[in-house]
Amino acid sequence: MASAFRPSLGGADVDFRPSSAQQLLIATARDFLSKHGDDARLWSAMSELGWPGLLVPAEYGGSAGSILDVVLLVEELGRAAAPGPFVASAVVATSILLAAGTAEQRKRHLPGLASGERTVAVAVLDDGGSFDPARVSLAVTADGRLTGSKLFVEAADVAEAVLVVVRVDGEPAVLLIPTDRPGVSRLPLETIGTEPVFEVAFDDVRVAAGDRLHPLGADAERLRTALNAGALARTAEMVGAAQRVLELAVEHARTRVQGGRPIGGYQAIQHACADLVRDVDASRGLLYAAAWRLAEGEPAGTDVALAKAYAGEACLTVARRGHQIFGAIGYCDEHPLHILHKRILAASLDCGDAALHLETVAQAIGLR
Amino acid sequence: MEFAFTAAETAFADEVRGFLRDNPLDRFPLDGMDAGYGSGAHSRAFMRALGERGWIAMCWPEAFGGRAYPMFFKLVLFEELARAGAPFGPLAGSWQTADAIIEYGSERLRREVLPAIARGDATFWQGYSEPDAGSDLLALKTEARRDGDEWVIRGHKIWSSHAGIATHGLVFCRTSREARRSQGFSMFVVPNGTPGMDVRPITSLTGGVYHYEVFLDEVRVPAELMLGPEGQGFQALLNGLDSDRFWGRFYKAPALERVLRRLVEFANATRAGDRPLSRDPVVRRRLAAMATEIAALRLLFYRAACLIRDGAPIGYETAVAKVYADETGQKLARLGMDVLGPWAPLRAGARHARLDGEISHAYLTSLGHTIAGGTAEVLRTTVAVRGLGLPAEPRRG
Repeated sequence: MASAFRPSLGGADVDFRPSSAQQLLIATARDFLSKHGDDARLWSAMSELGWPGLLVPAEYGGSAGSILDVVLLVEELGRAAAPGPFVASAVVATSILLAAGTAEQRKRHLPGLASGERTVAVAVLDDGGSFDPARVSLAVTADGRLTGSKLFVEAADVAEAVLVVVRVDGEPAVLLIPTDRPGVSRLPLETIGTEPVFEVAFDDVRVAAGDRLHPLGADAERLRTALNAGALARTAEMVGAAQRVLELAVEHARTRVQGGRPIGGYQAIQHACADLVRDVDASRGLLYAAAWRLAEGEPAGTDVALAKAYAGEACLTVARRGHQIFGAIGYCDEHPLHILHKRILAASLDCGDAALHLETVAQAIGLR
Repeated sequence: MEFAFTAAETAFADEVRGFLRDNPLDRFPLDGMDAGYGSGAHSRAFMRALGERGWIAMCWPEAFGGRAYPMFFKLVLFEELARAGAPFGPLAGSWQTADAIIEYGSERLRREVLPAIARGDATFWQGYSEPDAGSDLLALKTEARRDGDEWVIRGHKIWSSHAGIATHGLVFCRTSREARRSQGFSMFVVPNGTPGMDVRPITSLTGGVYHYEVFLDEVRVPAELMLGPEGQGFQALLNGLDSDRFWGRFYKAPALERVLRRLVEFANATRAGDRPLSRDPVVRRRLAAMATEIAALRLLFYRAACLIRDGAPIGYETAVAKVYADETGQKLARLGMDVLGPWAPLRAGARHARLDGEISHAYLTSLGHTIAGGTAEVLRTTVAVRGLGLPAEPRRG
């Protein structure tokens, strides 16, 4: 059941610490984001650092890093509540293209994705309300037309194309549809979140043979693995944001004086802060263990599901308790707490909500 | 980062599993109650079997009869034993005591007690708490006075686990009056049966006996049985607390995995109307969520283990892990009672009992876990003050 630490031959001692190269990545990211986190040019500045190409092989202009590097970077993006299409485009879309893109599609899109000049969005969830590819309902008709909607698509406004998970002849398939194709429209959805999300509507859109990624067939698992990279990135975003809530809450508890002493001197606040540490540390442990397994190329579906389901609950709890610790000031728009909170909420739903991942766990522990 | 066991650790896990296969657990008589921590009951026969294989002393230096195995072998052994539900209750205490004897024990303790620990013959009860000294341990009143080559102990200890069946007590007492409240404490290794020692069982809410109270009336102990530097006992105790919390709870996560596995089997095999209980969406969701918590708990302990192995400073990690272990255990026991429904209250051995009545026992014993070894409240304060740097509440006295 505990799927981390499966026996493996050789290997070094168990170690939770990022490597020195990874620590440098973290330090660089933290420093960069503290200076440019609110910059309107953030995406192009990130692109200059090569971040969008982290998962892309060198032959397409990327740096061929591992998902572990990506997770550590996204943790910092979450901590800074940095906006932008990184997870959608540089993690999920890139992973899907790498897993199932044709040679032609990879050659055409990956260099632009790696350099950050292009972005591609991913559209999975529709009326069925699920990120499980097996449960999408939008289908291509026998004569190759697509009519219907995908929901909660991030970065659709800036993306040049959308990877759309559909049904073809009843089986899940992935299409790569340019956003300027006739019949495609992008309609903003008004949510309580800070990152814009869209309904991508298809009105009798023509689907050409070259739009399809490799047929998934028995390889549907490859799509799941790519979506797992996204689920893990969203988990990292939650952990980073929750870490920031913890830091802010502790700083507030140390400095906010009521009744003649800092509120952090009262046990009610101390114990709340102690629980924030537990929630963040426990989430991060599952995150790193799952990322490590995915990076090692071992089956990590259960590990990712454990991490995302757990962190979704735990990090949201951190945000909610953060509000209680901050009192009235945390209720203000100008205070960063609600932004971190909303990022956690959105990340907990993207790439599979708790219901989806807990069902994966339920099957993994042997529930019939 | 690295999240796999080494080849040597994996081979050792196989060896332990082989031992458990060849030695069915019902061969080992139990002599003390299972208090639900995950280490099972007190079984001297089982401890001796571990001793025969050299596993109790395996991480000690070779000069002390050990094999100098790395610390993680202890984690492997704990996990395999806990997953199997084996009765190794006293093992953590034996290891902790042995480590202290190796670090600063007298020649006599090293010569007489250490080999007995290695064989599985010697097990220990902790004489820390007193009727008026619980979370505030420094309020204790038990005193020892020097008389030639001996110390003479007078006092009253309580909540000492397995004191009636263990071989030695670790008695913490005042050995001098000092200006500072935390100075002047020392620890003694007192053999059970020493004249003046009166060990009385306390029946717990389960109906069984786990704790004892111990009356010490002019108990004479050779000076060589003092463990650690005279008068510095409290500092030594504090220094050891981080690892006590760790070693006393490490096996909880694998033990909870075992209980969860049994609940999954129960849910699969039980009909609820026209479907298996495992298909009840609430039961299914709660069991899966529990699995995520147990997995998170296990990793918290491994992270703390890495700090201990590397000799890195421990701020709050073992305190967080201990509280989470105990609260997760309580949550699982509560969930287990819900899953068993009307059968939940049946005791072990009762007619119609499900899962051998294990869940009702776990439900009751788990109530004590957030109290023993540092209450959840004291530990949360430790996390906040020592780990996060929040100001300590003003204390009196």
